[in-house]
Amino acid sequence: MSASTAPGAPASGPIVELSAVTKDYPLGKLTVQALRGVDLRIERGEFIAIAGPSGSGKTTLLNLVGCVDVPTAGAVRIEGQSTSELSEKQLTTLRLHKLGFIFQSFNLVGVLDVFQNVELPLLLQGGLTSADRKRRVAEMVDKVGLTPQTRQRPNELSGGQRQRVAIARALVTRPAIVMADEPTANLDSGTGGAIIELMKDINRTDHTTFIFSTHDANVMGHARRLVELVDGRIAADHPVSEAA
Amino acid sequence: MRMLLLVAWRNLRQGGRRTLLLGLALAMVTGLLVFLLALSRGVNVSMTRAATTLSSGHVNVAGFYKATPDDVAPLIQGVDALRRIATENTEGLVRVLDRHRGWCKVISETSSMWVGLHGIEVSEEDALFEQLTMAAPATYVKGDPAKARPSEPRRLSEPGTIMLFRSQADRLGVQVGDQVTLRTETLRGQSNTADLTVVAVADDLGLMSTWAAFVPKDAVRSLYGLKADTSGAVYLYLDDIDRAPAVMAHLREVLTEAGYTVMDHDPQPFFMKFETVMGQDWTGQKLDLTIWRDEVSFLTWVLTAIDSVSFLLTGILAVLIAIGIMNALYIAVRERTGEVGTLRAIGMGRRRVLALFVIEAMLLGLVATSIGAALSATVALIIDAVGVPLPWTAARAIFMNDHLSLVVAPAHLIGAVAAFTIITGFSAFWPALRAARLPPITAIHQTE
Repeated sequence: MSASTAPGAPASGPIVELSAVTKDYPLGKLTVQALRGVDLRIERGEFIAIAGPSGSGKTTLLNLVGCVDVPTAGAVRIEGQSTSELSEKQLTTLRLHKLGFIFQSFNLVGVLDVFQNVELPLLLQGGLTSADRKRRVAEMVDKVGLTPQTRQRPNELSGGQRQRVAIARALVTRPAIVMADEPTANLDSGTGGAIIELMKDINRTDHTTFIFSTHDANVMGHARRLVELVDGRIAADHPVSEAA
Repeated sequence: MRMLLLVAWRNLRQGGRRTLLLGLALAMVTGLLVFLLALSRGVNVSMTRAATTLSSGHVNVAGFYKATPDDVAPLIQGVDALRRIATENTEGLVRVLDRHRGWCKVISETSSMWVGLHGIEVSEEDALFEQLTMAAPATYVKGDPAKARPSEPRRLSEPGTIMLFRSQADRLGVQVGDQVTLRTETLRGQSNTADLTVVAVADDLGLMSTWAAFVPKDAVRSLYGLKADTSGAVYLYLDDIDRAPAVMAHLREVLTEAGYTVMDHDPQPFFMKFETVMGQDWTGQKLDLTIWRDEVSFLTWVLTAIDSVSFLLTGILAVLIAIGIMNALYIAVRERTGEVGTLRAIGMGRRRVLALFVIEAMLLGLVATSIGAALSATVALIIDAVGVPLPWTAARAIFMNDHLSLVVAPAHLIGAVAAFTIITGFSAFWPALRAARLPPITAIHQTE
């Protein structure tokens, strides 16, 4: 089965669905329950913030949706496909074709320049001609406003510029879902705001689903839906206008 | 692949001192192996040259003659007919000649020594005189070298002459123009002597020249009381020495069909077969066909020793380097766990992660070993061109030459580079596998 095609996946319905998801982590002789029976439906094109204090399970939830981890119990479905039923190879394919990641620490490949970092997922995907691939990368780099920095390496960029590269890398494969784990945590408020605006703009124009975690009230204000986690449970789930 | 190579190359460059030290170690070990292989090859070439100059053709049609079951002589009868058959049935034949073989004591006024006699016909031996260089009198003459007569090897066409090698002349205390006495036993068991004049002293050709001396054929015939149509061996020289075994096999069939009795092939020099043949209960003539390598088989221990030392030494160093590479890559994997996690999270499969680290190691291996091999080959070629003299007799004997001979074979270069690149790749495999097996979540957490 190819995760990229996800046969049997419903054309409509939630793009992400968590059903009674529990995630336990062993910590020495203890077991830490990071998530406790979480139920969540996320529709296509949503711009959703996961909020909560440190240790509330935000990152764990994103990791489960991002298919870099599997639940201890319950089910995580991406376009109707349960991630627990997928092999390691299928999960890798799913991440490559359907998901995009934006990390708090940017996580760029230090030895590659801006263009090459953005090009990397497309090279892993294959299927495009060299010219098509380069055109798409150039468009994406332009979209995040880094054309002048195309040949610079991450250590030559500011924090905001690095996060823009990370966004371009996450979006270049045109994924259905982009996960962003505290994307503004390492940025000043002005830069952070600009990054969120960029993500929001892409969400509006490309209808890409964005799920991002944050504990910054300003950032939460940009989301259209806010899910609040406390001690591994969903404490609140509502449109942002209501929260405000 | 292009991206993997790019990442690998840039990570290596970023590795700085670690990359430099590992590369240096790889280059040094490869260079050492290339140098030792060049030495081995040099000895091999020297041995081939010495053997095919002094005591053997590429293929030899020799034999033993037994007048009674209890004696044996290294003789072939009817040598003209044998030469004709061999010439007509040898493909790629460049030249043919025959030499008498003998074993006698050479006695000077001050010393004596045993030598193997080679009875030659000067008109057939242009190649011999091209290969040999005459020794400078200063290297062996006890008195004033300026007063020494020059060597005249072609005077071996005159009766009663002998050509010695430098170490022999030195030991016997003779020079060109001096007389020596040869003493041996005839086939009938009688003692016989001959007085000969030294007409030439040649430079040594390694160990083999310490017991070889050249005289006219007639000198051997008269010393042993032999007929005119006898000889010791017919030497056949081919355009391709590697075809010698095939030519020998073919000649065995031809000579057997022609009615000759041919002994089973025994890959030893003729003088090591005396005891065996002497104990055999037959009389008359039997032919013994050999190739050049058989005639120097007693010397191949030198090559075996050099090769063994080379491979043992480089093997030990290769293991040490492999451990070093594994250790360095384990550290690199630990340092780059976050990068691995990121790559896995964005969709890089385990095989590609594995390939990334293995390619990185192999790239280092390829570049470092190529540099090491190229530098070592250059040094070897320079040393060979300069002709560094070997000061010790033992060294000259072992290396079959007066000077250090190093021959760089392209196949050895390619082989050494390929071998160490592959070893480097294998060394990287386990650390790379560890990286590939890292769950993305673990790797990502490492960064955070």
